[in-house]
Amino acid sequence: MNKTTLTPEESLLLITKTIEETKKRFEENGHIIILWGVLMFTVFFSQYIFSLTGLYKKFDIIWTVILFPLGMIYTFIYIRKTVNKKNLPRTLLSRVIETMGWAMGLNLLILGFLFRQQLGDAMAPVFIILLALSMIVTGASIKFKPLFIGGLLLNLIGFCTFYLDRDYHGFSLMLGAVVGLIIPGILLNKARRKENV
Amino acid sequence: MFKELDPILHSQLRLSIVSTLMMVGEANFNFIKDTTKATSGNISIQIKKLHEAGYIKVKKSFKNNYPNTTISITSKGREAFENYVNDLKKYIQPGK
Repeated sequence: MNKTTLTPEESLLLITKTIEETKKRFEENGHIIILWGVLMFTVFFSQYIFSLTGLYKKFDIIWTVILFPLGMIYTFIYIRKTVNKKNLPRTLLSRVIETMGWAMGLNLLILGFLFRQQLGDAMAPVFIILLALSMIVTGASIKFKPLFIGGLLLNLIGFCTFYLDRDYHGFSLMLGAVVGLIIPGILLNKARRKENV
Repeated sequence: MFKELDPILHSQLRLSIVSTLMMVGEANFNFIKDTTKATSGNISIQIKKLHEAGYIKVKKSFKNNYPNTTISITSKGREAFENYVNDLKKYIQPGK
């Protein structure tokens, strides 16, 4: 691969192809978004079931404390493995998304464990709104409309949750997980598979 | 009438390397190898030429006890690439 007699058309085509190839190697397949959506849904659905069966106090904290940190550990390992496997360099965009993800995750964890009392009924809406912001930014950055729209809907669900009774906040979180994470994640995964066929 | 295209960039592999670096700014040798699908020897030769022209910077280090070569584009390289693309456009659309 070192042809020196390129025509201007061939040169432009080569530049376009290389840029496309480079872009493809950075594409996220939605795996982590689906994982967090399912995790969120599972945690809040199980909380609802526990509350129905009267086991809420016994299992709620353990369930949440185990599942969310496990998700964080898995995400960390998955990202590191992908970066090493593909020899991915850190671009400005990947740095922004990565930093925002970690900062958002840590803030949500700190808010959930340390400021539950202070936030009171606002806990669930604040959680949803913060999550929505990260989805909107990620969707806009990777130029994937369903993720961006999912983020906007999640944002809307967050604000609507302020008007709901605390007993229904779990449903908002479950709905948010499906609308803002699981569906856009699946669509992203499908889109990437289609591109790679 | 037409400006001569930059001979350093007007080569398939060198142009491919610089296009990749224009996208990512900085990348290691293996990333460039995977993207361009060229052989290590050929890439090394072209990297040397681009480095001599001042279009890229090469940093050699170790990562987990293995040699790690990081290549980044310089401002001279960016400028050369932009000029090259503008010149190409003139060839393709002479009226514009």
